[in-house]
Amino acid sequence: MENPLHPFELHQLVHLSLFGLDISLNKAVLIMWVVVGLAATLLVLGGTSRRLVPTKLQSLAEMLVEFIRGIILDTMGQDGLKFFPLVGTLFVFILFSNLLGLIPGSYTVTSQIVVTGVFALMVYGLSLVLGFLLHGIKFLGILVPPGTPGWLLPLMMPIELISQLARPISLAVRLFANMTAGHVILGVLFGLAITGGVLIGWLPFAFTIAMNALEVGIAFIQAYIFTVLTCVYLGDAMHLHGHEEHAH
Amino acid sequence: MPPSTDPIYTGLGQAVRIGTDLLASLVVGGGLGWVADTYLFASEPWGMVAGLILGLAAGIRNAYRSAQRWK
Repeated sequence: MENPLHPFELHQLVHLSLFGLDISLNKAVLIMWVVVGLAATLLVLGGTSRRLVPTKLQSLAEMLVEFIRGIILDTMGQDGLKFFPLVGTLFVFILFSNLLGLIPGSYTVTSQIVVTGVFALMVYGLSLVLGFLLHGIKFLGILVPPGTPGWLLPLMMPIELISQLARPISLAVRLFANMTAGHVILGVLFGLAITGGVLIGWLPFAFTIAMNALEVGIAFIQAYIFTVLTCVYLGDAMHLHGHEEHAH
Repeated sequence: MPPSTDPIYTGLGQAVRIGTDLLASLVVGGGLGWVADTYLFASEPWGMVAGLILGLAAGIRNAYRSAQRWK
């Protein structure tokens, strides 16, 4: 049986280098371009036909935009809408690459921890920059939860520091692990179906189809969670300790 | 696509987060303790022990906080 981790290995397809920097193309890069192309086509085509009675593409694009807007309003409030371009881009890119990866023979870009890690570091770095820009040195107060008695501070500050540092890691690992695990399970089940032959192979094959349907749901939920957490982290940086009023 | 306020998605989104939050805090706490042990103080194994305990506390605090948001 084939090694179920084999599909995640990347090999250079075209060797390119720019000023000594290795920018070779591999499958993940190509699929990323496809994802960007598909998402851009859908949103541009859906966005240009501004009819009152929407076309199918337009209503799909509008639904997507309304969904992202709803997430932002829920977690960050009205003034979070200025992050709509960033949050929307993240959601659409992750959703499309999760879904595209489910097509057999394709590749899931989000199953590479490099991709999810860069997204998570970008989001978390932005929240740090935003927090220090808006609140200055007072932003360090995020390490002191409101209502902490003074004698607990030496204990609470390391705990809060760890939970802050864990944010980008859990953001990156969650998406990467869910995507990788799902595809490993699909790979193993399909391998069983192939080796099982006609007599018993139909059983794992049926499971493969059921898992694929489940993976569509997971693709959507993981994109949703990544977006919600992006909004939560940015919102925490914007309203320091103010999230009690903004939480729903 | 359902509206983002759909209780199924909000609920699932909240629930799925908690496991990874616990794990990530534990890994960060243990990792910081290990770094302190190996590179800073040569205090093996106590830095990692303290780090893991603090990481566990941070993870539980994270889970508690996200459950509070749930309301």
